[in-house]
Amino acid sequence: MDKQVNTNKKQFEFGTFMRNNAVTVMFVVLCIVCMCFSGQSIQYVLYEMFSRLSRNAFIVLALIIPIVAGMGINFAITIGAMAAQISVLWCIEWNIVGIPGFLLAMAMTVPLASIFGFLIGKLLNKMKGQEMIGGLILGYFANGLYQLLFLFIFGNLIPLKTPGLVIKGSTGVANTISLDLGGKGTLKYALDGIWNLSFLEAIYVVLAVLILLTVFQMLRKRIKLEKAFTILGCSVALICLFQVSTISNFINNLFALTKVPMVTFMVVGLLCLFNNALLGTRLGQQFRAVGQNRTVANASGINVDRVRLIAIMISTVLAGWGQLIFVQNMGSFQTYGAHEQVGLYAGAAILVGGASIRKATNGQAILGCILFHLLFLVAPPAANSIFGDAAIGEYFRVFISYGVIAMALVMHAWSGIQKKKKQKAAKA
Amino acid sequence: MTKSKVKKIIALVLAAIALCLIVTGVICLPMRNSEKGQDIIADLRIRTLLNATGEGVVESYVAIAKEEARVAAKAEGKGMSAIRKAVAAAEEEARAKYSNFEVDYDAIDPAPLYDAVAGYYTALKAYEDCKAEAEQAYYDLMYPAALEKAEADRAAKLEAGQDVPETLTVNVDMSGFTATEEMIALQAQENTAYESVGAALKTIYPVMDDAALETLQKTVAGIVYEAGADFAALYDTYMAAGSKGALKNTFGPFLIRYADDVIYLAVGLLIAALTVIYSELLIKKLGIPRVIIGLFFILLCLLSLFFDLELDVLLSNSLVRMGMNSIMVLAMVPGIQCGISLNLGLPIGLVAGLIGGLMTIQFGFPGWGGFLFAIAVGCMIASVTGWLYGHLLNRLKGEEMGVTTYVGFSIVSLMCIAWLVLPFTSLKLKWPLGTGLRNTIGLDNTNFEHILDDLLSFNIGGFTVPTGLLLFMLLCCLLVWLFGRSKTGVAMQAVGNNPRFAEATGINVNKMRIIGTMLSTVLGAVGILVYSQSYGFMQLYTAPRQMGFIAASAILIGGASTSRCKVSHVLIGTFLFQGVLTLGMPVANMLVPGSTFSETLRILISNGIILYALTKSGGASRG
Repeated sequence: MDKQVNTNKKQFEFGTFMRNNAVTVMFVVLCIVCMCFSGQSIQYVLYEMFSRLSRNAFIVLALIIPIVAGMGINFAITIGAMAAQISVLWCIEWNIVGIPGFLLAMAMTVPLASIFGFLIGKLLNKMKGQEMIGGLILGYFANGLYQLLFLFIFGNLIPLKTPGLVIKGSTGVANTISLDLGGKGTLKYALDGIWNLSFLEAIYVVLAVLILLTVFQMLRKRIKLEKAFTILGCSVALICLFQVSTISNFINNLFALTKVPMVTFMVVGLLCLFNNALLGTRLGQQFRAVGQNRTVANASGINVDRVRLIAIMISTVLAGWGQLIFVQNMGSFQTYGAHEQVGLYAGAAILVGGASIRKATNGQAILGCILFHLLFLVAPPAANSIFGDAAIGEYFRVFISYGVIAMALVMHAWSGIQKKKKQKAAKA
Repeated sequence: MTKSKVKKIIALVLAAIALCLIVTGVICLPMRNSEKGQDIIADLRIRTLLNATGEGVVESYVAIAKEEARVAAKAEGKGMSAIRKAVAAAEEEARAKYSNFEVDYDAIDPAPLYDAVAGYYTALKAYEDCKAEAEQAYYDLMYPAALEKAEADRAAKLEAGQDVPETLTVNVDMSGFTATEEMIALQAQENTAYESVGAALKTIYPVMDDAALETLQKTVAGIVYEAGADFAALYDTYMAAGSKGALKNTFGPFLIRYADDVIYLAVGLLIAALTVIYSELLIKKLGIPRVIIGLFFILLCLLSLFFDLELDVLLSNSLVRMGMNSIMVLAMVPGIQCGISLNLGLPIGLVAGLIGGLMTIQFGFPGWGGFLFAIAVGCMIASVTGWLYGHLLNRLKGEEMGVTTYVGFSIVSLMCIAWLVLPFTSLKLKWPLGTGLRNTIGLDNTNFEHILDDLLSFNIGGFTVPTGLLLFMLLCCLLVWLFGRSKTGVAMQAVGNNPRFAEATGINVNKMRIIGTMLSTVLGAVGILVYSQSYGFMQLYTAPRQMGFIAASAILIGGASTSRCKVSHVLIGTFLFQGVLTLGMPVANMLVPGSTFSETLRILISNGIILYALTKSGGASRG
């Protein structure tokens, strides 16, 4: 009897898990199927995955705060990306390269993206409840302004001296901007190139940091002893495990091509910590309050508009930095196209990770980023081997991106209406 | 001083300036063809002629100097290289000497030249007119054969599975053209007239010889006569050649040249004055965005006149584009009326229409039968998808816009895969190599290209009226309007205006919303077919993605909001939006040559107006 109840309970849990994470589970299955058919070596897939994760994770993490603040997926991060591209353009024009160039671009992105974020926030405050579609269309609109800026102002009204930024005989900035146009060096890998390790070494570093942190927390008595010992034990066990040559060889073989850009991942880790820390502060509480119910938040004395404005500004600046990381990894960018899909891909990625448009965590963002880009990586070759046409895979992944967002919106709207109905029924 | 007083004063000043300008323009404009205008042109023409021939004279001097140097050097018995050197030195010296060669225009008597040039002009004009006529006659004679050949070539290429350009180019072979007798006679007259010009020139430049005159003939002819050039064009050409000095008083001719632009400026100022006076009324009646876009449209009209673009052709084009887009914009009406807000999921209907069009081409139905078949198939598919879509939207009341957008996007990218795998076999549809359908499918006269545009169309000057297209547009508008007056239509609007009230009065809200969504989707399917027949191409793959936005922004420009609209908003909005885009491109190209400014303009206007509508509808109400 007891046993039966137990299994029933387990089945029930499994069912809810599936229902709550339908998209994620579907993606895992899709990724595995595509990977089987893609015919690519696992080493190559892992290598590509890591570089994609390093360049895309930051911008996905930038979406979390507006989601918590109840503004849905901030599709206007496109505009943050534009701010970053403007900064990069001027860094190239002034020929400041390497780490100083990257830091300057970061510094320049902050005021630009803050101003843009302020304006976005002001506008979105006028269309509460419609933020997502508003942000999307605002992104399109800003793209028009961006084109005005890059086609008619930069290179015409404000001359650019660096050869290659402006193509003679056509108006405006060239279609592709390479990060080494200045001639003194390049912004490419400004961040990624600082410190690269192989996968196993990177694991050692991560474990070492973990151990140090735990010990530190233990000394300050911020952590339960039981938990601390579990962490320490696991870490040490893992390290010992890696000493076994068959295992370490296996891992080294699997990640033979992979190079882990430590600094980039450190920055991503810092952003995760920042997100968590921020949500723990008073401001973070206000984000949550506004996100849960604007009317109640307003009644309890929170300046709702201001809180939303801050959320969007933070998100825009972070998105700008995210785009900088992306651009420095790629080494060049499409002047008129690099920012266009940023909102779409980041939004789809975070939803794939199991986030909804009301709830999102760092883990979901990272997981979503991995799954989404894994599918991006393996879908075209898989479609090529199944249908004999890689274009089907290309369109399939675009369809998936839009479809995931559409599905998330449908599910959200549906559950919201269902809730209202239940409330009504309860009242009646 | 109050605000209204300031306004009145500004308006009065503007109007006064405008009146002065109009008077000036109206006085000056007729002068172009009067004796005064002709005198100005004659003065400029003679000066240009003298300047141009002056260069020939310098060449004559140089040639003489070179010859002298050669003879002299030879007489001294020098070697070849020394002779060459001496000649080069002489040439340089002569060029330096005559580099500032200029006739003293006050000292010479140009009267005989005037007469001679006038005579030459008449003879030249007669010859050129005759030649043009004869050539046109020859072209008309040869055209049918050339057309047949081009069509046969295209068909053969298609048959062979080769890729063909989407438009047909007809090359008429003019090499067989021979001069008629009349032309020869007139040419002889022209040559005689040129001799008298030459004689007059010789009296001014004694050094000019017959050889120089012969080489100059083409230049002189080009200066004296330019086919089809009116006052303004001639004035511009001569001024550009640096003949300003011929005019003692430059302001008068300048006014005459720019008399039309002065009038346009005055009209612009008058409109500005009126806008200033009635600004409050206008903004109240039309709303800020429509006032801005309306004024922008008028500004573009005036600018296109100012740049001497063909406004009638441009307006005719905007009328065509209004017609081709109008049905898609009309598709927004049932959507807004039934309460699903802007139907940004319009691509669901568009792809249905595209499938209908593809099937017509696949089965090879020609002409009207094919077009109606396409519409029928499109409507059938659209009503099924619209029904499903309506059910989806009924579960998402209040959140339609975001969902519709992404559902539309998803459908478009899903259809991208479908275009690759659907089993169409016609060579007109498929890529000759590789799989899938073409990106753009060119329609031609064997299917339904321009089937509505060319129906009963007629020309007034450069202005082509696409009667069939406009009639079809009005018919559809009328049907939607009538539907709005019907019992179902009224019930649907009640649902859109106030769902709770509608429910209380016993209307089936969900059913009405489904009807509205279906109608919107079906109209989308018809709309894309009307668009394609007018455009001449069917665009597949990602092309329909943005069309929902374009249609939505057009109806918003027309004055609709996200919850309220009328059929008249469709007509006004589509005309204004498409008018601004059509006029914007050539005007922007005059301002910044070779730019994609028009595309940028579309992005800004289209998304700007949707944003504006969202801020108006958005829930600032809820804390």
